[in-house]
Amino acid sequence: MQNHIVQVKNASFSYGEKRIFSDISFFVKSKEVLCIIGPNGCGKTTLLDCILGVLKLEQGEVLIGQKNLDNIKPNQLAEKVAYVPQVHRRTFPYTVRDIVLMGRAYKTNIFSSPDEGDMEITNEAMEKVGILHLADRPYTQISGGQCQLVMVARALAQQPRVIIMDEPTSHLDFKNELMVLETVADLVKQNNISVIMATHFPNHAYYFETNGILTTLALMNNERFEEIGSPGEILNENNIKKIYGVNSKVLNCNIDKTTFIRQIVPLSIVKEAQ
Amino acid sequence: MKKKILYISIFISPIILAFITLFIGRYPVPIGDMPKILTYPFLRYGSEINDTYYAIIWGIRMPRAVLAALAGASLAVSGAAFQGLFHNPLVNSGMLGVSSGAGFGAALAILLFNNFSYYIYFFALLFGGLAVLLSYTIGRIYKTTPTIMLVLGGVIVSSMFSALVSFIKYVADPYNKLPAITFWLMGSFASVGRRDIFIGVPPMVLGIVGLILIRWRINVLSMGDREAHTLGINTNMEKLIAIGFATLSTAGAVCVGGTIGWIGLIIPHIGRMIVGNDNKALIPISCALGASFLVIIDDIARTLTGGEIPIGILTSLVGGPFFVYLLKKTKGRGW
Repeated sequence: MQNHIVQVKNASFSYGEKRIFSDISFFVKSKEVLCIIGPNGCGKTTLLDCILGVLKLEQGEVLIGQKNLDNIKPNQLAEKVAYVPQVHRRTFPYTVRDIVLMGRAYKTNIFSSPDEGDMEITNEAMEKVGILHLADRPYTQISGGQCQLVMVARALAQQPRVIIMDEPTSHLDFKNELMVLETVADLVKQNNISVIMATHFPNHAYYFETNGILTTLALMNNERFEEIGSPGEILNENNIKKIYGVNSKVLNCNIDKTTFIRQIVPLSIVKEAQ
Repeated sequence: MKKKILYISIFISPIILAFITLFIGRYPVPIGDMPKILTYPFLRYGSEINDTYYAIIWGIRMPRAVLAALAGASLAVSGAAFQGLFHNPLVNSGMLGVSSGAGFGAALAILLFNNFSYYIYFFALLFGGLAVLLSYTIGRIYKTTPTIMLVLGGVIVSSMFSALVSFIKYVADPYNKLPAITFWLMGSFASVGRRDIFIGVPPMVLGIVGLILIRWRINVLSMGDREAHTLGINTNMEKLIAIGFATLSTAGAVCVGGTIGWIGLIIPHIGRMIVGNDNKALIPISCALGASFLVIIDDIARTLTGGEIPIGILTSLVGGPFFVYLLKKTKGRGW
């Protein structure tokens, strides 16, 4: 029980008449990665918004470290929970350092600015994510992948217990996607951080699992978690067929003596029977 | 080091420019008499001081320089704050309708009263505040204040008040009232005196100081509602505070100087070219630049021709080409 950083109990939400999800329950432990996958529009982002306090659950409750989300002020929430958006809209060319420093906002009051200590934490966060060399660059002039790492560094500067990511790699190229995944995996291993991540790529769950991270996968569809368990158990041909209507194949491969990878590849779209 | 000198000179330039302004004007005040006139209120020695000179310096030029500087600072700072708040570099201090509301208030006061000078302040402040309140209420239609709704609220309210101003112009007496309304709307410091200090300075100073105090928070608010919330900020509350300070300072500026456009838009961008986008540096530098800019423009307005040129005309005429020049020179660096 103490181990649960985030616990969601019997959560339901609707936009007006339209029910998005109902009666979802799960919890996230320390140093655990929870991947949520499901078809477009199944309500992943809405669920994350309810945990972030952007939206309010219709029924059920969200507990952040034993405390009900309704009784947590935004600055208290930011101390525990950080957020990495899907796409960050860049308007003003702030420097990378300015952006990461904003992770310290919850510690300052409205009339003050971050102090030396906050600066140091900011530098550490950028170093951990590997973007310290970009610190003084305008963040409008770096690549999308680097920008996403800036968002991760900003989340890290909050020194949270859990980072919530909404499809953090959805618009990134081949290398940048891996860069973000590697960074997240390192953070979870080396820090006392959990991750809740909505993603379109089932293989992300395998990636974390084969990297030795405690990984849970939730398959979201039809307003609920159809399956929840370890990727090895539930990420299989049957479930993918059920959720996406796609025929697929799980491939296991030993790269060398120590490295093992598992991937699920789509084969064809299931033709409607009868 | 070179940068430091530049910053320091930007910050002291409003004071120097305001001081120089005391020597500029159509009525010649002998330079030799200036030390005596300037120190008279503090030292009060002898009676050999010329009353006319004294009245010109302390009763007219000094209040005018102070008010122009503060108005420039107010408009620039609230423009910078709104650009951050609405994460849009193209908005200015009048975004939520404060200028058009104040303009309507002033026009109404001129229409209704024969001796309107005092009523103008009251009505301009009242309707400027009311316009922002209306925009804010429209923006709160969904109980929170999403930025897009606030912008939309501002556009709706501004256009309604502009229409009302047109209506007042339409019904106003064309020989007496209409010119007064038109001149007021073009903006001018021509008629300001000491009493304007007491009316205009408190809201402007309060608003400027408030925005300077919350300047770092504007960075965070410029990340957009969702991200600002997840960074630990009560976005609705802090937006309201920022809007409150910006409205105070802008309304103060508008009620002494009329509607002066353009400053709230370009001064923050000039500031960005110098110090970058961090509002921690941008807000103070915009404050100093806005003050200097409007003092200079006001000097031009009162000396260029025999009469007064409305300052709103000059800010755009001088400001536009100057801005293009800066864009070309800095190649939009830091932008």
